[in-house]
Amino acid sequence: MTDVITRPTDADALAERLLTTQSPQRPLSAPAIRLEVDGRVIEGREGQTILEVCRDNGIEVPTLCYEPKLPGFGACRMCVVDVEGEENPPISCSRAAEEGMKVQTQTEELRRIRATNLELIFSDHNAYCLPPCQNKCPSHIDIPGFLKANAEGEWRESARVFKRTIPFPSILGRVCPAPCETHCRRDEVDEAIAIRDSHRYAGDQVLRQMADEGIDPPVPFDVQPATGKRVAVIGSGPAGASAAYYLLIAGHDVTIFDKDEKPGGMLRYGIPEYRLPKESVLDREYESITRLGGRFECGREFGKDFTLDDLQNQGFDAVLIAIGCYDTNKLGIPGEDADGVIDGLEYLKIATLGLEYPGHRGTRVVVVGGGFTAMDCSRTSVRQGCAETTLVYRRDMKDMPAASEVHEAIEEGVTAIFQAGPTRVLADEANTVTGVEFIRMQLGAPDASGRRRPEPAAGTEFVIPCDRVLLAIGQGPDLRWMGAGNEGTAATKQRRLAVDAVTFETGRPGVFGTGDVRMGAQTVVQAIADGRRASYAIDAYLHGMDLGALRTRQTLAEPQPEFLSIVPFTSEVKEPRIRMRAMPAEERNASYIEYEHPYTVAEAIAESTRCLQCTCEAIGFCDLRRLGIEYGTTLQTLEPQHDRGAGYRSVTENRFTGLNHDYVRDDSHAFILREPSRCIDCGRCANVCAEVVGAACYDFMRIGFDTLVTTPLDMSLNDTPCVSCGRCAETCPTGALMPKPRILQKYDVDESRCILCGICVDACPYDALRCGPDFELAHTSRVEPMIDLMAIAALDRDTEMTYVRRERDWAERAVAEGRPVRPDRLLPVLPAGLATAGGNGHNGHGDGGVPAGGGSAAH
Amino acid sequence: MTTLLATPSTWPRILTAGFGATDPTDLDAAVAAGAFEGLTRAVRTHGPTGTIALLRASGLRGRGGGGFPTADKWDACAMAQGAVRHVVANGYESDPATHIARGLMEERPYAVVEGVAIAAFAVGATESYIAVRAEYGEAIRRLEAAVARAEAAGHIGANVLGSGRDIFVSVRPVRGAYMLGEETVLLKALEGKRGQPEQRPPYPSERGLWGRPTVVNDVVTLGAVGWIVANSADAYAAIGDPEAPGTTLVQVAGAIEEPGIAEVPTGTRLREIVDLAGQMASGHRLKAVVVGGPTGGILPPRELDTPYGYAALREVGAHVGSGSILVADERACVVDLATLLTRYCADEACGKTIPCRIGLRRLAEIGQRAASGHARPTDPALLADLSADIVASALCAHERAATNPLTSVLRYFRPELDEHLLRSACPAGVCHPIGVTPAGTAT
Repeated sequence: MTDVITRPTDADALAERLLTTQSPQRPLSAPAIRLEVDGRVIEGREGQTILEVCRDNGIEVPTLCYEPKLPGFGACRMCVVDVEGEENPPISCSRAAEEGMKVQTQTEELRRIRATNLELIFSDHNAYCLPPCQNKCPSHIDIPGFLKANAEGEWRESARVFKRTIPFPSILGRVCPAPCETHCRRDEVDEAIAIRDSHRYAGDQVLRQMADEGIDPPVPFDVQPATGKRVAVIGSGPAGASAAYYLLIAGHDVTIFDKDEKPGGMLRYGIPEYRLPKESVLDREYESITRLGGRFECGREFGKDFTLDDLQNQGFDAVLIAIGCYDTNKLGIPGEDADGVIDGLEYLKIATLGLEYPGHRGTRVVVVGGGFTAMDCSRTSVRQGCAETTLVYRRDMKDMPAASEVHEAIEEGVTAIFQAGPTRVLADEANTVTGVEFIRMQLGAPDASGRRRPEPAAGTEFVIPCDRVLLAIGQGPDLRWMGAGNEGTAATKQRRLAVDAVTFETGRPGVFGTGDVRMGAQTVVQAIADGRRASYAIDAYLHGMDLGALRTRQTLAEPQPEFLSIVPFTSEVKEPRIRMRAMPAEERNASYIEYEHPYTVAEAIAESTRCLQCTCEAIGFCDLRRLGIEYGTTLQTLEPQHDRGAGYRSVTENRFTGLNHDYVRDDSHAFILREPSRCIDCGRCANVCAEVVGAACYDFMRIGFDTLVTTPLDMSLNDTPCVSCGRCAETCPTGALMPKPRILQKYDVDESRCILCGICVDACPYDALRCGPDFELAHTSRVEPMIDLMAIAALDRDTEMTYVRRERDWAERAVAEGRPVRPDRLLPVLPAGLATAGGNGHNGHGDGGVPAGGGSAAH
Repeated sequence: MTTLLATPSTWPRILTAGFGATDPTDLDAAVAAGAFEGLTRAVRTHGPTGTIALLRASGLRGRGGGGFPTADKWDACAMAQGAVRHVVANGYESDPATHIARGLMEERPYAVVEGVAIAAFAVGATESYIAVRAEYGEAIRRLEAAVARAEAAGHIGANVLGSGRDIFVSVRPVRGAYMLGEETVLLKALEGKRGQPEQRPPYPSERGLWGRPTVVNDVVTLGAVGWIVANSADAYAAIGDPEAPGTTLVQVAGAIEEPGIAEVPTGTRLREIVDLAGQMASGHRLKAVVVGGPTGGILPPRELDTPYGYAALREVGAHVGSGSILVADERACVVDLATLLTRYCADEACGKTIPCRIGLRRLAEIGQRAASGHARPTDPALLADLSADIVASALCAHERAATNPLTSVLRYFRPELDEHLLRSACPAGVCHPIGVTPAGTAT
């Protein structure tokens, strides 16, 4: 073994060393220095590191291994900065700031080095952050979060969690295609969780409370004080409403314009009553906007009744165009202009108003298309008494966007024909539809969306005789308003409003665009997610921020990290999903009321309890994730690719992919959960445990690539000198060390057993033990044991250093706060100046040397 | 036992002068040969500042691989704040295949002790340590005997030569891993702590052993100090490369007939050094030389005219390192060789920093992929990029230098690497690539 040299014991050398050892605390008396960081001259103090000076001045330098209470360690190499005149960038956590230094913190090279480091970490990071469901959700709802609240029966809390990302849990609970459920990991045990039905239940409870008890719906964040800025939102559909909701919370004054009589856009006029009840759900849930102070101005059509010039002249600071897609695509085949060929949206609008479409009853209807509009058209036609309803879609059933609903439609009496495309519309002399000729399609090579492209098979034409043709083959935005009064906006090649995907800016200053008008017709949940993102951009714009800089923050707020490596669960629990009961098909095809029976309370709780909560516990607190997103090393894309499944790529897949470690989770300790697979070997826990707490439970074990910061021999924390202080979990930058959930307790101190070791004070992350009367009392009585402590300290340098630093910090703080410090209360090694600086004559105050400042407030 | 290679008679012999003595610990014989003459002059004539000035004039640089001017190190230590200073001689020879320091410590223990004593005198250190790799049993025994005899004779110890200065030297066997060769890791080992390097600055000359100003010099550096003070700075400065004058010890090994160590003037061409070890193994021709040990660069024959010096070697992608020169003939595959060396460096890394712990492993994996025929098309670019980033953010010299083997293959042996990458073929027949990479994709 290494021969350890016994340290000398002469007192002078000891005292000298204690004073010359670098302290992480900023020396209050040190002279000021000036240095230039990122072109800005900032002030620091001699003896501070570059990192400390930067942080004091609000300049962010990324770190992973830096623990503010300790000197820089230098393991993560993330805090590299460029210092003028140096070949290789030094790390700012260890490098002392010097007068006149020129420092850059964000050069391209530095960002590249940091990104490489992060990629290296990820290549050996056998873990994931977001659960697949949340990752797959276009709006990234905290699904485990609201399911947990659900399982506890906390419906309002559940709705609040939901509303952090989507304001309308009940509406989405009915109309969302629920991409989350197809990626639920519970599916590996038995069946996926009914995520949509669960938030529907929670949302409905909130709506019921609103109606029955007059209780306001929960608001996800604190409503900010009014900013005095006015925003006009054009269009009250899901995108506009969601943007308005979050802008209202941000304290802006929002007016929402809509061309129709009532707000809701496609939610109201595109979705039938039996899927989304208008009065009991849509109106009530939209009330959360008016309750926050939003105003609807309905019946005013953009481009006809007002222009962007008008709005901006009226003093709106920002305008958001969220007018959706109302222009149904044409088939582009002969005979399309015949009487009886109807725009599916027009039809739905009449139908959803509760009116029967003129002359529809008893007719034979052909619906062309495979989306939700086509589905709504055919199912509404059945309800309106059509003699025959045929749905024709050109692709296979599995490629159908509304595949989930097709079985219900068939049950209700719809005939569905797949892989057939229309070639011409047949009409009689009066130009009235008599039928549609279709041609069979065969599937060719996959196209950009991953679905195989249908190609017509010659000679397979067939005719379906009919009286009505409903077209539901997709919509585009109506952009005819462009031009006079609305200059500065432009259309894309795909005939959509040209809008930046991140900053949501149109070409015209102060005018933004979001939702379907930007993306083309998409699902409700995508529109809502887009609206929320746009609200962030507008908020930043209204606060005068640089929207270019928003790009980074936007990616921070909207992570799309394909982080997932799916490890199959081996649990034997089998608990099938609880399904909502539906009305029999023969009853519901004649009815417009909701055909699904909601859960009972017990069912709702039971279903949510099935959630495996497979998220990383540190999500939201993880520095690695934050930096990974910021430095673009998480494979995320700015534009979500919804047709590409998440969960097929692991976080470890980057250019450095290679061997990685898979460690075993240790939950043997009562308070601290260890997940070594998430450990990045920063050493913070080891340093804090050894230097601050004094227990030294962790250290770097093994060598080379296999190095891991863990307990000796990977033993349980129970077998180490762990004092359960939780400091390690507090300092861990990832989810490798986490506090175990536990019930709060009150603790008593048995003073007769206290040995004044001070560990509790050091360990307490909240300084709770500094201000109480008991601790001051204990501190006072330390005058005597101090000599012994010096002797004890001589045995262990680390403990001694900690003790002296703490003493000095305490004294410095007391002096800075104007509290007197009696010289005899201080360690003999502390400079005399410090002792006298605060000794300003108040010493006699209080008994036994208790300082007369903040500490005595408790007496 | 290591063979001392014969060198031309015109080359000075400073470090290896007494090699082959029957009893290297014989103090009288050593003194007769000039031992402790330098120390006496330093104490009696030059004084501490004069000694440092003399050393500066001699141009001596650190032989541990770094090439830092020794006088600057001593000066910084002497000027640093603190009442107690230390001198630590680094006798932990990391490279397991090199025996230069061992040879010197075994054959010239008094030269090492004298060098330590002069350093201690110059910087004002009372306690000095010679940290020796614990496996070097004979070296430890001889050094301990030398220290004991020198102290008994009054060359070192209390009140050296009546100067009023105490110079105590002790030998410390240290055991650990490869990383102990790094100076801050060695200090940690002496303190009994976790063997991980520390960020510099502050350098050990300001804050070293137990936070005190400490001079850490390689034993080969210290071995020349006595001679320099005893003779003259000018005499030393006249030897070899004027930029970094003097002689140094190298070890030549590999596919040659007479491997061994040799004392060569700095700036000697690599070709001349290799030729000292005789012919190539019969019937084979030289293909490459690995200069600098496991973290060394692999150089092709056309670079053999490179002078053996810090700057010149760094320019061609190698370094002095452990002082080893390994000769490979055409039977060796450079991809295999570089992968082996990189994997060794990765496995011996202390695991502190991320670029070193994971990055070196990923470098080794790139090499392994090339050798096994599983290369990815982006691998050459990845190798270059990753190496550059590791070098840019490195904490210690190990991390920085460990990128040398593979980057030098990329630089000098691209055709052979491409054979592996593009055609899954190993021209030397060493690797057995099994995968098939479509031709033309690996660029």
